[in-house]
Amino acid sequence: MKLLKFLLRYFPPGIALEYQQGGNIKTKMIDLLDLTANTDVKALAESIKAAEPIITDGVTEQLVETLQKLQSKVCDGNFKRYYKYKTLQTHLLPLTNIAFDKLGKRCLTGSYDRTCKVWDIDSGTELLTLEGHKNVVYAVSFNNPKADKIMTGSFDKTANIWCSQTGHCLLNMWGHDAEVVVVQFSPTQNRVATASMDATAKIFHLGSGQELGTLKGHTAEVIALRYNNDGNEVITGAFDGTISVWDTRTMQRTSVLTGHYEEISNCHYNFDCSLIASSSMDKTAKVWDARMNSCLATIRGHEDEVLDLSFDNKGKKLATASSDATVRVWDLSANFEQIAVMSGHREEVSKVCFSPNGHQLLTSSMDRTARLWSLETGCCVQTLNGHTDDVFSCAFSYTGDTIVTASKDNTCMIWR
Amino acid sequence: MLTTFQGLLSILRKLRSNPDRELRLLLLGLDNAGKTTLLKSLASEDITQVTPTQGFNIKSVQSEGFKLNVWDIGGAKKIRPYWRNYFENTDVLIYVVDSADIKRLDETGRELAELLMEDKLRNVPLLVYANKQDLAQAVTAAEIAEGLGLHNIKDRDWQIQSCIATEGKGVKDGLEWACKSIKKK
Repeated sequence: MKLLKFLLRYFPPGIALEYQQGGNIKTKMIDLLDLTANTDVKALAESIKAAEPIITDGVTEQLVETLQKLQSKVCDGNFKRYYKYKTLQTHLLPLTNIAFDKLGKRCLTGSYDRTCKVWDIDSGTELLTLEGHKNVVYAVSFNNPKADKIMTGSFDKTANIWCSQTGHCLLNMWGHDAEVVVVQFSPTQNRVATASMDATAKIFHLGSGQELGTLKGHTAEVIALRYNNDGNEVITGAFDGTISVWDTRTMQRTSVLTGHYEEISNCHYNFDCSLIASSSMDKTAKVWDARMNSCLATIRGHEDEVLDLSFDNKGKKLATASSDATVRVWDLSANFEQIAVMSGHREEVSKVCFSPNGHQLLTSSMDRTARLWSLETGCCVQTLNGHTDDVFSCAFSYTGDTIVTASKDNTCMIWR
Repeated sequence: MLTTFQGLLSILRKLRSNPDRELRLLLLGLDNAGKTTLLKSLASEDITQVTPTQGFNIKSVQSEGFKLNVWDIGGAKKIRPYWRNYFENTDVLIYVVDSADIKRLDETGRELAELLMEDKLRNVPLLVYANKQDLAQAVTAAEIAEGLGLHNIKDRDWQIQSCIATEGKGVKDGLEWACKSIKKK
């Protein structure tokens, strides 16, 4: 075995060891979720070295430098102010969902005008218009990190795969009996998943477009779907108030997480897929043990429907957004206690996400603003003003230096 | 629709075709009582190939303007401890008894008594199917009710219904009672 190089992963922090074994080049990932600005990097390097015999004395210094670079990038607690960089006059008809590619260079917008557009963030220009769907384009996604393909899900009951360079439609996937509202690429395999208002989800082969299986069992519309890290499991959230867990190898349901009294609004895995969190119209969120399928906690505090939720990149905090105009943050490592209530929005908060380094929260609201919040103080540190109508979606790019917001005023704004 | 557009989630909520009121029915009972056969008979499915249920089955049926989501949980002894995972949000508890399995009438009575003590099933109406009435050694629904001590139940609505799940006899009558007991609430 021979060590070739260290690779950095910023969010969540980690390093990978690339090494040669026999004729093969392999990598081993080491998570450094506890890395902070106060971490003694030299001691950390020593402890990594002790656990990994492949790291010899000769490269220790290089390891320390690598860790310092990671620390300076990830643990920069300084607050960055964002300025309106570009306004994208996107579509004539209302927008639906938006998505970034991994590098934050391009973004996607779906619309009621039956198209999906691809935008260049640097120049604010339209790169491609993906035409072909016969009804509203609702769900949009890049196959990150490669981002050479785009998937769209439409109210015309089908999903399309497009080449992200040429805009050619590569595949049309059909079989659903109602609107396709979620599309997801498998993180590891040549497969994609769709979820639909017909109460099912489906798995398709990305090469042929052939349907590989239908995940049947929900008794109402499926409106959320996530793959786990190895791609062998998906979770689905539905308006029947349950989360289902599926094995994508057998297409069988392995568990149903019951307990919510009303429709599910979203569900997520945490970073290492050990936890599942779900938000519901019943004003609560729940955290579940992903292996035991048992409910670890019911998070109460919101006075109205919980519309969205998000794990931080390290999987240690959970943020929930509600119709009660607040956002709340919960500590997953200490008894699911409430860490902060962010109040300031004047109307319902539709989306919430953590900044990649976990220091800030980004929210979008019906009060026509998006806001940034400090997790340390719980205070609003910046209000992104400019939209003239409800802001219903917001996202950070992977590195956190760009934000995109989407509004009912049919524009997207890029903030840097 | 465009003018009343709000968040993305509300688009999806508006897309829903006015759903019927949904009820969650939980189907329990000892193994071989005929729960899965009953479920399939409700959904008008083929019942010639029913095998012991290892996990659970769910089917939706329409009745009396309700959408009934019926959860059939396996009844084998080793699975029974998991029944409690399914108690939450139950609207009607359906308990199926094999009327011809006189030897296990005590056991099924004990399991039912434990269910009725459960906090999460408090006040939930109880429908008991006295199944397999076509078998020669079957005892009547009245005798089952006596054996289970149903007459002592004071804290909830209950009903016993004789049925033959394999032929579909009596199954619908029980469901109609279940819907009515919900409407009364």
